[in-house]
Amino acid sequence: MLTTSELAVILPLAIPAAAACLLPIASLDRDQETVKWIRGSMFAIALFALAGSFLYVTRLWGTRMQPSFGQVHLDFLAQLAAIFILVTAALAVLQLWDHLHQEGWVKGETLSLLMFSVTGMLVFTATTNLIVIFLGLELLSVPLYALTATVRQRADALEGGMKYFITGAVASACFLMGSVLLYGMTGSFEIIEIGRKLSTHPDTLALAGAALVLVGFLFKVSGVPFHQWTPDAYEASPHPIAGFMSVATKGAAFIVLLRMFPAGLSASPDMALKFKAALAIAAALTMIVGNLTALAQSSVKRMLAYSSISHAGYLLLGLVAGTQDAYVGMLYYLFAYMAMNMGAFGLLTALGLVGDRCGFEHLRGLGWKRPGLGIAATLCMFSLAGIPPTGGFYGKYMIFKELIQTGHVGLAVLGVLASLVSVYFYLRVVVALFLEKPTEAAEREAAERPEVVAPYAGATVLVCGFLVVAIGFAQTLMVDGFALRAIKDSLHFMP
Amino acid sequence: MSQAFLSGNLQAYILVSLLLFVIGLATVLLRRSLLMQFMGVELMLNAANVALLAFARFRGGDVQGTAFYLFIIAVAACEAAVGLAIVVALFRHKQTTDSDRADTLRQ
Repeated sequence: MLTTSELAVILPLAIPAAAACLLPIASLDRDQETVKWIRGSMFAIALFALAGSFLYVTRLWGTRMQPSFGQVHLDFLAQLAAIFILVTAALAVLQLWDHLHQEGWVKGETLSLLMFSVTGMLVFTATTNLIVIFLGLELLSVPLYALTATVRQRADALEGGMKYFITGAVASACFLMGSVLLYGMTGSFEIIEIGRKLSTHPDTLALAGAALVLVGFLFKVSGVPFHQWTPDAYEASPHPIAGFMSVATKGAAFIVLLRMFPAGLSASPDMALKFKAALAIAAALTMIVGNLTALAQSSVKRMLAYSSISHAGYLLLGLVAGTQDAYVGMLYYLFAYMAMNMGAFGLLTALGLVGDRCGFEHLRGLGWKRPGLGIAATLCMFSLAGIPPTGGFYGKYMIFKELIQTGHVGLAVLGVLASLVSVYFYLRVVVALFLEKPTEAAEREAAERPEVVAPYAGATVLVCGFLVVAIGFAQTLMVDGFALRAIKDSLHFMP
Repeated sequence: MSQAFLSGNLQAYILVSLLLFVIGLATVLLRRSLLMQFMGVELMLNAANVALLAFARFRGGDVQGTAFYLFIIAVAACEAAVGLAIVVALFRHKQTTDSDRADTLRQ
């Protein structure tokens, strides 16, 4: 029989999983394309499950309980990660309603796959055991391969899905080989145990294993040189799924990296030096390549894909600094990143841009037509560019400050320069929205088409715009109340 | 014969496993048929399996390692299902499984 605390671990994971199993039954009906209440109930099931799991986890957070069951530990870091993932998924589900209707492709399996992916992420972030981490990683990525290709009436959706599948599967295999080598050389699947053994007996094969694990993670967070899949996969997938992939997958991978990197991979000073040097190079390249390539994009969606690559670079810098405050900064930045990136991808849905109509020229003058939406999107873009007083600015500030204090001044300067470059392409969106007149062809086209109605996506963009500013102003609350507690209690090996 | 295999030393098994892993990676990177690339991925996963079982046996039949092996087989099957579905759907659009022909997404 399960005890209450074991049940407390299972429930938040089981609710999205149960919804994922229920949704295909709802989508069995042939009339799902025509009958609105069937479609509505599918989305309601998904939102209901996310809300249930969210309420459960916040209750746990409130009562300061950290239950664990077998290898799954729902500690404060896992709870914070769950809140992060569930809110992102809920925003994505709301945007999906509008986007899938614009595409004319409303299918229950899309939501079901999304729920499975959410379950995988919850497992992924709630353990320190390599077996469970691998299972969580697969449970989150395999549905995402299919989700990328979910609008299968379009050939390029399938192409993007295929590219994501091949690269992602190779990354998973690298991660698996790495963890097997680590297990073979240390005799344990527990990260902390592995770190302890590695610091006393550093072995070449084990180090190779650790490097392979790191390669797997760099793939998932789309760090250079393993980033090539990102723009194609994002362009192929529906906008909300691209937002979900860029925010939740990256966030979950960074949270697991926070568990693995300090405890397992840099347990001894010698190893810390090696791996931090590798991460520093990857972070620098990620920022440079991400930002410079984003400058040259003509599609807003591809620009956002490269921007998400460059944000992985800033977050990697936090691991290079490697202090408690830097980790807190990373968590804070992840929450700000969630608001601003979901807002940016939501803008495309709210304006009804589908298929290849995602260029900067398609945004022209739309800010004046929908002023609230335009202002919220502008706030998100300011935050992405790191302009105060938004959340994006304070997150970068915390990470760069710790970098300078640990003596990586060069990297901090590079980071500041990279975010200065990024101001150009983020402001291009704002300029297109407010300062440019729409072309005549676009005006004529807009007059012929029915008015774009995307109430839910529009609402999520407004919420994201509000959150970006709120996270910026509630900085001390976020840091002291949430991020610090998660880091302090979960990464207990910190000096 | 089988006795000689079972008592073979760990290094040989690890060498075979790493070789399989590299062959799989090379297949993914060099072949241009989606199905072959797909098999390369499976080879990489199974290379890890060989190493895992060798390590588990070397560690006195460690249960964790042996159980993980079963999980990996199941995961590889799931990946295969999703991957093949995408290959088939792509084939319906493009009438080919040549990965060089799937190149419309680019800047």
